[in-house]
Amino acid sequence: MIASSAYRPADGVFDEMFDASLAPRRGCDRVVSDLLSLGLAELVEMRRRADAMFLRQGVTFNVYGSEEKTERIFPFDPIPRVIDAATWAELERGLVQRVRALNAFVADIYGPARILKDGVVPRDMVLSSPQYRHAAVGMTPPLGSFITVAGIDLVRGEDGRFYVLEDNVRTPSGVSYVLENRVVMARLVPTLLRTCGVRSVESYPADLLASLCELAPGGEPHPTVALLTPGMFNSAFFEHVALAQLMGVELVEGRDLVCVDHELFMRTVRGLKRIHVLYRRIDDDFLDPVVFRPDSLLGVPGLAAAMRAGTVAVANGIGTGVADDKGIFAYTPAMIRYYLGEDPLLPIVETHLLRDADVRRAVLRDLDRYVVKPIGESGGYGVVIGPKSSYRELARARDLIERDPKSFIAQPVIQLSVHPTVIGESGNGAGPIQPRHVDLRPFVLLGAKPRVLAGGLTRVALREGSLIVNSSQGGGSKDTWVLGA
Amino acid sequence: MSVLRRIADSLFWAARSLERAEWRARLVDVDYRLLVETPVELSQPWTPLLAIAGEEAAFAERWGEPDETKILEFFLFDRGNPSSIRACIETARENTRTLRHTISSELWLDLNTLYLDSQRWSLRELESGGLFGFFSDLRERFYRLSGIVSATLPRDLGYDFLTLGTMLERADNVTRLLDVKYHVLLPDVADVGGPIDLLQWAAVLRSASGLEAYRRAHGNAIRLDRVVDLLLFDATFARSARFCVERVGGALARIAGGTPSASRRAADELAERLACASAADAIAGGLHEFVVGAQSQCADVASAVFDDYLRFE
Repeated sequence: MIASSAYRPADGVFDEMFDASLAPRRGCDRVVSDLLSLGLAELVEMRRRADAMFLRQGVTFNVYGSEEKTERIFPFDPIPRVIDAATWAELERGLVQRVRALNAFVADIYGPARILKDGVVPRDMVLSSPQYRHAAVGMTPPLGSFITVAGIDLVRGEDGRFYVLEDNVRTPSGVSYVLENRVVMARLVPTLLRTCGVRSVESYPADLLASLCELAPGGEPHPTVALLTPGMFNSAFFEHVALAQLMGVELVEGRDLVCVDHELFMRTVRGLKRIHVLYRRIDDDFLDPVVFRPDSLLGVPGLAAAMRAGTVAVANGIGTGVADDKGIFAYTPAMIRYYLGEDPLLPIVETHLLRDADVRRAVLRDLDRYVVKPIGESGGYGVVIGPKSSYRELARARDLIERDPKSFIAQPVIQLSVHPTVIGESGNGAGPIQPRHVDLRPFVLLGAKPRVLAGGLTRVALREGSLIVNSSQGGGSKDTWVLGA
Repeated sequence: MSVLRRIADSLFWAARSLERAEWRARLVDVDYRLLVETPVELSQPWTPLLAIAGEEAAFAERWGEPDETKILEFFLFDRGNPSSIRACIETARENTRTLRHTISSELWLDLNTLYLDSQRWSLRELESGGLFGFFSDLRERFYRLSGIVSATLPRDLGYDFLTLGTMLERADNVTRLLDVKYHVLLPDVADVGGPIDLLQWAAVLRSASGLEAYRRAHGNAIRLDRVVDLLLFDATFARSARFCVERVGGALARIAGGTPSASRRAADELAERLACASAADAIAGGLHEFVVGAQSQCADVASAVFDDYLRFE
């Protein structure tokens, strides 16, 4: 075991593959003995083969910057992240519970708004959320389902527990990488994959299609489902194509669609064809120029009215973003208790609302110990990580917070868990495999019943010491192996 | 299952671009063989390529005075020339990227691999590896693509739009081939029937994969009227204008599904013209005029297809 004997987990963080005595954790033995024992040349060759497969398959995302657009692959690490059956079963229960509550919250605030009347969540926070949509008030989608697809970002703290860092209940992306990563791993290490008894992820497209069909208006037995994409210039376009292909449904753009008499149709060479369920991957603001941005060409005029008329189901529904608002996040444990009468199974990362003067004073006193996030942003934009910021950056953050405290939250810095990752020759004496921080985004589907993809997207921060796993900022991904019971 | 107008449009153009790329590869390849075999007096062996493609002006604007290197670059790799082989492959791939959910993953994978490889092509690499090798490899890849199309795609409406793109482009190309051979390759009437003339006709046939078919049908003696007959009017030769236009008509009949359409009418008219005409008539009335008329009818079919099925009203 050449590599693993040279591998040293970082101090003071949870290592996903080894315990404190450097013994492999539950379920990890075979991965350690088969993969971590490989030499640098073999590991690098595996990564090269993986990259070539992604490129050939066209598993790329678009990057814009210089004048020419480029297609890049999402960096892939061949050492899989393993989650044993018991740990996963517990996670899965917590995820389903959470998404049920978030969905109930969205249906409630655009309907009777009981939770606001009961004072459990402050009304002004909901109404002033950048993701609150007046157009959704009074909407009653089939099955009461606003959130059909959710991606929940989890991190593992020093104590080895999973915490929710963020919810994504608008148009969460990344699931195609889960599917493609598995295809690639099945080619790289077929025997290892089988002997470990890894649970398949292949049923996701069928599960997604089933969840969508269950939303069909009027119980239409053979609904026509279509996936709405902003088009090939969107960074997630590959995923839109892949999901449409795997589900066997049409991939449509706004210009393919038209609403006639409150029904949705696509334009085919043989005339208009009715659509019953639309899985949309464009933001609320672009969905329907009649009620949102009038200049949008990406959506369909009249779609919101057709939704109200009950002739078409749209997943996810309008206005779901209010449930993944970074401020309202602080109230999610309360929501679970309020709607389900249960204690939350998954803890959230401690979240401080800086609108509260006492909280704000306490946080500002120790700002270098917190992560500050603007409520309205996503994708890691505008985030200030206290311990990594200069005095000047902290001063600027303090100034921004004091000017507009309602727009910020603060969370303690979580030392994300680490995972052995192929780095190559680093020159500092460390082996070719080194610890790097990871997170996990599982995907939850909520149709007539919940369905959870076994695993999810493990993102890894490839830069040493970095806690930021976003693909736009040097992140890569790993295959996630949930072991069978 | 019907097909979206946007997708039908992309299928049509993907097929057209691929066919154009393949035809370009054939032209350059054949011209290169001709260059190797021709007596030295023929000083400008590459310029006919520009005439055949109808791109003398576009070339002059980008590259000025023609020479071998510039013409090869313009024909094969120039991104600024929308009809270069590389640009056509890019267009085909871009169109396919938006509809890969409607085709087989095998087709996408092979086309994307061709595209990725085409990004690395360069004239220097081509010359060091040899033109023969480059073109025979390229020809095999185009054959493989059409094999994948035929082996993996369902014969549905989408397939009919692919057929339209391929066959319209192929019909158009074969008429251009004849036209330019007649007017450009050999402007001196005294040379007609001479050894160079025969060599060139053999090259023309070869570029349409028709030399062997010709020999089987007519023996070794190459005569203009028989060449015209094979390339324009033969009902069985897979690259004749008539064969291609009849495939276009068949696809349009399936797409129209029994209802009359302008595009089908236009295709049927052209098919009938090609079925009834003889090589002797076409040559007597002026081959150039005949061929230009057929090209313009191809363009009419394409624009009727657009009006009937692809336009967003």
